[in-house]
Amino acid sequence: MNAFQRVATIVSYEWKRTLAKKKFFVFVILAFAVQILIFVIFNYLFTNPPPLMPPFFLEQTKPIMWIIEALFPQGLFMSLVAIMISGGSMSEEYEHGTADTLLSKPITKIEYMTGKYLGGLSLLSFVVALTTALGVILAVSFFSPQEHLQFVPHVYLAIVYSNLVFLSLAFMFSEVFRRTTLALLSAIGIFIASMVTSGVLSVVYAFTGEQLYLDVSKWLPDWCASNFPDFVIRELVSIPSTPFVSIGEVETVLAGALIAVYTTVFIAITIIKLIKSDVTKKTD
Amino acid sequence: MMSQPVINVSNLTKFYGDFKALDSVSFSVSQGWVYGYLGPNGAGKTTTIRTMLGLLKPKGGKVEIAGVNPSKDPVRALQKVGYAPELPNLQTFFSGEELLDFTGRMFGLPRQARKEKVWQLLEFVGLKEEGKKKIGKYSKGMIQKLSVALALVNDPTVLIMDEPTIGMDPEATAYFRNLFTTLSKQGTTVFISSHLLDEVQRICTHVGMINKGKMVFDGPISQVLETFTQEWVIEAELEKVTPKIMANLKQLSYVKDIKVEENKLRIQLKEKKDLRGEISSEIFKHKGVLLSLNLHKITLEDAYLQALKGSR
Repeated sequence: MNAFQRVATIVSYEWKRTLAKKKFFVFVILAFAVQILIFVIFNYLFTNPPPLMPPFFLEQTKPIMWIIEALFPQGLFMSLVAIMISGGSMSEEYEHGTADTLLSKPITKIEYMTGKYLGGLSLLSFVVALTTALGVILAVSFFSPQEHLQFVPHVYLAIVYSNLVFLSLAFMFSEVFRRTTLALLSAIGIFIASMVTSGVLSVVYAFTGEQLYLDVSKWLPDWCASNFPDFVIRELVSIPSTPFVSIGEVETVLAGALIAVYTTVFIAITIIKLIKSDVTKKTD
Repeated sequence: MMSQPVINVSNLTKFYGDFKALDSVSFSVSQGWVYGYLGPNGAGKTTTIRTMLGLLKPKGGKVEIAGVNPSKDPVRALQKVGYAPELPNLQTFFSGEELLDFTGRMFGLPRQARKEKVWQLLEFVGLKEEGKKKIGKYSKGMIQKLSVALALVNDPTVLIMDEPTIGMDPEATAYFRNLFTTLSKQGTTVFISSHLLDEVQRICTHVGMINKGKMVFDGPISQVLETFTQEWVIEAELEKVTPKIMANLKQLSYVKDIKVEENKLRIQLKEKKDLRGEISSEIFKHKGVLLSLNLHKITLEDAYLQALKGSR
């Protein structure tokens, strides 16, 4: 049995472990619900346009509804789903005492960790595929014709890539704290704090025009995670500035690089902690 | 002739913070031995086992299983090792069948071999009926049995069991006792941590004793009894103990002391020898009627308690 097969075994284990949780399904259903809500709202707007809404807005938005449908859950729900998936990935094995039985098998710690991480990532990718597909299906079914559908894979990959930040952050906390509740709370706390701080800094920038505020907000993990898919699609498609698609300068390379840096740092810390520490016994 | 050690632990030292959990622990276990690892609660038994499996990082010393360090190369070292932890915690989202299958996958067993092995083991431990049931619905005894089955998935050449029969009913205990003996006869090395001395005395060929993180004994079970036997005692019950019998027994060169309680004699010997023949001849010579005559042998429990006392 080679290293790849051992990692694949842990990947399938991780799917089984995560899919056994009800809270995981709650978040996925919420993401679907948000997409359906967006569809309902836009469907209403298209059939009953409000008098104050300029007609060109709806005309420009309708052919790219699949993008709005695909991107909307990303900002909030996909990051939370990512945190849900990996926040207990390592810690639950310590809490339940099952890390002993797994790591007393012929597998290295690195293979075990890789399997756990890739298991979470592949599951998240599957959920993103479902939400993207749902968005495209709803848009194509009710708002035809849809344009730029050749970029569906680009949007999908950009969403998956952008979710690496919070997936890796929660994964790191899961190993460092070895307590699921603490790992989840810390990751969600950083996610919300980052989102709020980023919003506040943007508002301050809008009022003061001071570039520093905007620059600082870019270094917060939420900025790259939530903006990267927008930037990618705006590199490919000319999108009108709407309340549903972010405005501002397109900085795809910076956002992509920051995602890579955050992910690398979080994974490196996880590896160091795992390698240097004992496998602790049951703690709950 | 002593064969090559399958498990080799030398000068193993482990700290938890400032607490020294293992203090230069050393022992070797050869192929086919059933090695009983004894010690009171908190002595360091589980710490030793978890360090042997590479789950804990020692401060010093070395562990080798089949010549390979499990911390450095767990894939090679643990390929033929079966391990059943004390009070096993199993993945409750699996059924017994699924967990055995998953464990077989981790050992690289092919799909068809796994399928056969899974049901063979479930039947073997008496869980065939519950194989499809989620582990979350298993009783403690069933989990214990499943844990032993999990340790046998890969046909191990080294079986490490931490308190294997804890929580098992007497029938299951006897069953697993026989299993360990059978496996050892087939060449499997069995390492059992236990506090059930009677069980260890019945099945183990060798014993290691640990107290407060230090090894206090390591050797064959016969040697442990010999080592910790301080005196041999013959207990004789007579119809009537006469002064003449007493006087003559006391004069014997190999008798150290005699204590009398009604018609029972407790004869303490100077030598570690079975001298019942000589004692009975002496009693008959002086018209004594012997009702019973027993050599009081040291048990593993006596030896264990003495070893612990000596190490304090």
